[in-house]
Amino acid sequence: MAGFTGITAKQNSGLQAAGPMAATATGLTKIYGEGNTRVVALDAVDIGFEAAKLTAIMGPSGSGKSTLLHCVAGLDTVTDGEVRVGDTLISDLSDQELTLLRRERMGFIFQAFNLVPNLTAEENILLPLLLGGHEPDPEWQKRIIDSLGLDERLHHRPDELSGGQQQRVAVARALMSRPAIIYADEPTGNLDSNSGQEVLGFLRRAVDDWGQTVVMVTHDPVAASTADLVVFLRDGHLVGQLEEPTPDLVLDRIRALEA
Amino acid sequence: MAAVLLLSLRNLASSRLRAGLTSLAVMVGVAFVVASFVLSDGLRATFNDIVEDASAEIDATVRAAGEFAEVTFQAQAIDEDVLDVVSSVDGVEQAVPALTSSKIVALDGDGEAIETLGPPILAVNQQDSATGALTVEEGEIPDGPGEFAMDFSSADTYGFEIGRSYDIVGVAGREPFTLVGTTRFGEDNALAGAVLMSFTLDEVQRLDGNEGRINLVEVTAESGVNADELIADLEAALPAGLEAVGNDVVVEEGQEDFGAIVDVFGNVLLAFALVSVFVSTFIIANTFNILLGQRIRQLALIRALGASRRQVLLASLLEAFIVGVIASVIGLAIGVGLAYGLLAIMNALGLNLPDLELVIAVRTIVIALAVGIGVSLASALTPSRRAARVPPVAAMREGYRYGSGEGTRRTIIAIILAVPGVAGIALSLFGSIDSTPLLLVLLGGGAVLVFISITMFAPLFSTPTARFLGAPLERMPWLGITGHMARENSSSDNKRTARTAAGLMIGLALVAMATVVASSLKDTIRGSLGSTLNADFLVSPPDGGTGFSTELVGAVAALPELDPVSSTRLGNIRVNGSEQGVRATELELLTDLWDVNVLSGDPGADVGPDVVSIHESVANDLNLAVGDELDIEFAATGTKTFTVNAIYENDFLIGNYLIDKSAWDQNFSLNEDFSIAASVAEGVDFEAAAAALDQLEAQFPQLNFETGEEFGDRFEGQLDTLLIVINVFLGLAILIAFLGIANTMALSVLERTREIGLMRAVGMTRRQTRAMIRWEAAVVSLFGALLGVVVGIVFGWVAVQAIAIGQFAVPVPSLVLYVIVATLAGLIAASFPARRASRLKVLDAIHQL
Repeated sequence: MAGFTGITAKQNSGLQAAGPMAATATGLTKIYGEGNTRVVALDAVDIGFEAAKLTAIMGPSGSGKSTLLHCVAGLDTVTDGEVRVGDTLISDLSDQELTLLRRERMGFIFQAFNLVPNLTAEENILLPLLLGGHEPDPEWQKRIIDSLGLDERLHHRPDELSGGQQQRVAVARALMSRPAIIYADEPTGNLDSNSGQEVLGFLRRAVDDWGQTVVMVTHDPVAASTADLVVFLRDGHLVGQLEEPTPDLVLDRIRALEA
Repeated sequence: MAAVLLLSLRNLASSRLRAGLTSLAVMVGVAFVVASFVLSDGLRATFNDIVEDASAEIDATVRAAGEFAEVTFQAQAIDEDVLDVVSSVDGVEQAVPALTSSKIVALDGDGEAIETLGPPILAVNQQDSATGALTVEEGEIPDGPGEFAMDFSSADTYGFEIGRSYDIVGVAGREPFTLVGTTRFGEDNALAGAVLMSFTLDEVQRLDGNEGRINLVEVTAESGVNADELIADLEAALPAGLEAVGNDVVVEEGQEDFGAIVDVFGNVLLAFALVSVFVSTFIIANTFNILLGQRIRQLALIRALGASRRQVLLASLLEAFIVGVIASVIGLAIGVGLAYGLLAIMNALGLNLPDLELVIAVRTIVIALAVGIGVSLASALTPSRRAARVPPVAAMREGYRYGSGEGTRRTIIAIILAVPGVAGIALSLFGSIDSTPLLLVLLGGGAVLVFISITMFAPLFSTPTARFLGAPLERMPWLGITGHMARENSSSDNKRTARTAAGLMIGLALVAMATVVASSLKDTIRGSLGSTLNADFLVSPPDGGTGFSTELVGAVAALPELDPVSSTRLGNIRVNGSEQGVRATELELLTDLWDVNVLSGDPGADVGPDVVSIHESVANDLNLAVGDELDIEFAATGTKTFTVNAIYENDFLIGNYLIDKSAWDQNFSLNEDFSIAASVAEGVDFEAAAAALDQLEAQFPQLNFETGEEFGDRFEGQLDTLLIVINVFLGLAILIAFLGIANTMALSVLERTREIGLMRAVGMTRRQTRAMIRWEAAVVSLFGALLGVVVGIVFGWVAVQAIAIGQFAVPVPSLVLYVIVATLAGLIAASFPARRASRLKVLDAIHQL
């Protein structure tokens, strides 16, 4: 069934009982500021991201969707709760350990400013590997670059690439280390719809063909509809999820949330 | 205008750290300038007081009437019989003879001759009189043969104890004396590192080899006697060649003498201070450039909201003005402290300088403000004008960059600046300009223009050069991609690279130039010693010392192992009204001991009290040939006519004018030798001759008995010391340069916040982040240092040509060392910004817009 799972008793305990989890958060709480400026961005969220699936996180502005992504990606510290990537409990790791974890087991795609200006496209793709002093797997590298259509642009600098090409380079970089999980923060936010579709197609293929796990924050219902599962956040709470989404279904849910 | 001011203040407030770093560079420059003024003004005031105090009780001084010092820093000798003449004049209460000798040295408890850092060791006669500035500190006044006293701080420094016996070396060699007391000179014993020994007059005369002679008579008037009338009466009674002058004249002359030394000292400090100021100008300009670059969106926004270009320009200049004012005021305060700090350092080095009188002249304040504000405004002008050209639309558009395509214009301006710069330097070095201030303005102004021009040219080659210099970073396996990024970052913006390196380039250019000149000088001296000195041995006074007994040369000549032997004296004469150095020796022996390369005539021909040998430069300037007559004016005896008997080419250790000792004896009142040259006698073993000399050395342990080789080594040692002093002072400018590099790196970390955040997100560790920033700074420093050394070698070559040093030498190991040290220093200077970069919050960095 095109899944609209009503949020009733299961609210805030949205651990799906599906396949193995690439990352999980339990009781994840994030509070900014103190006193008058205290903001609870995430309020005891329990969530899991199933391996080899594309999960989209949606919600109105200020719902905490970006914060959730940052916390499970180890980019931000958590106030309370536990975050695991695979078997690793990351909420207790030092900066050094987190950095190595991001380098080895995570991939990142940001909305804008994804690439280091002084490095070529190829150097940008290999950056996490090179930072770790690892030799890239040439076969894997070739497959990624071929499938993303980047072989002509490898020696160009970011400012010589179009927005769509830049995002494709970012996707290639995220895939290069075959990470346990790829985090995408509004990956199509700065792109025209054609380029956006292209990037979403690549993410979809990464999941379907190569078994990668992708977690994507987006506010675009079309983008969200490419996901296997859409989870909705409001005011720091998980308020529902949608399997096999379509743009219309997503839109309906959002309208319902904002109402 | 109110809006402009508000904008300036807000901008400053919002970037306190950056404004602080900017003003730090201004502050250091201003402080250095202020310190040089405060120190020299203070020292001058203090020494003026000392001079006044020293002769406060004296109404008149009787002395030789010479118009100039026949031997530098020494008073002419007169016959002591004049005492009777002076005493017999009506109204004279007391007539006290005074004789100062610099030929007498004390040996410390270990039998070593005491040596100062340069100030003289003086022996004076001390007696109980109301006039003397010398008072007893402890013990007694020396009262007979074999007794002496020493000023208490020197006694302390060199470990002399009252009641013990020490050897004193006079003209006849060493003999035992007892220290009977310590003395205090004036109120503070402010001898500035000089050693003051006192004896009875008879003992000073005997030890000095000046029996029956004194320098002057200090006269006090009976009460009720008018000083001016007394001076007139004294003048009338004195024989020809002597004069009586009032206390005012003595004080004025003394103050002028001290003032001249303090002026040189102050001007040298000021010159180094101006170098620092110049370097800081580049740093501030660079900072403003980057700051305004980061503010493009804001500038465009206020332009879009209706601010005129003029208002934008004004706001930015006003910001610079405020920074300048604040930095000047703080710099002024730091400068006063720095002056006292320098004084403390000099005192710690053994110069007993008096407590500084705090003089903050209006001139000092005006110059401090002018320098601070001027430097700020000057360096903000170009960046501000560029900022004013930002179009309003840049507020809406990403990626507006300041004027590309300015390269050609910049190059043209660089050439326009280089032409007068090079011309100024050439004119000052090779032209015949007599006015020293004009010379310095041409030289300094020319150098400033050339440095600016080089900085403007530098972007043409900074990118490929920095890429080349950074290439090894790619091959350091432990750096990996970090090294690659450091290389890219250091070279990607050619103008940024050039501007950041500019300060270091200037500092190292000056250091390299000084080193090249010193090294060329050393080589030349080596060469000149080899080619000029025929003699095997040289006897000379200690560094900075004065002449020694004329008896010694006789003792050396008496040794059968040595022949020929001759001494040289050094004095002053006037030729056509200008003061010149003259040397006197046995002209017959000259060519045996010295290879002066005679061009015409023969120095040994027609030797007598009226012949002179001259250097070819004198012959050319005065259009003289052998056989021509030359009028020479002596301080003691007036003008005499001499005949030129030879013209020679080598002037090293020989000078421009050579007369025979017979001429000296007739025309000089003082007798002291400055060097003895001796050769091993025919058929005598070198070792035997050296052993014979050793015997004499034991008698005169303060003198250097050396082979030509040893003499050269010592000379080189002195040059090395001078070079170190120069480089230490230039070090301050270089310190400012590193401050600039740290500042630029901090600003560029700020600029690249998002980039750094991104790299941290995808797995760059803190350590890697720090390494990236540090190595970037190292490459830029290496670029600046190398460019500086190249420029310095060229400048050094020019200087070597200008002062006509014979040889040009590039001391490669020293220069390589400088470059390595500068690169490492750049690495270290970037530590603070590197830390900041590594501590950036990854999330904040990614989200920053």
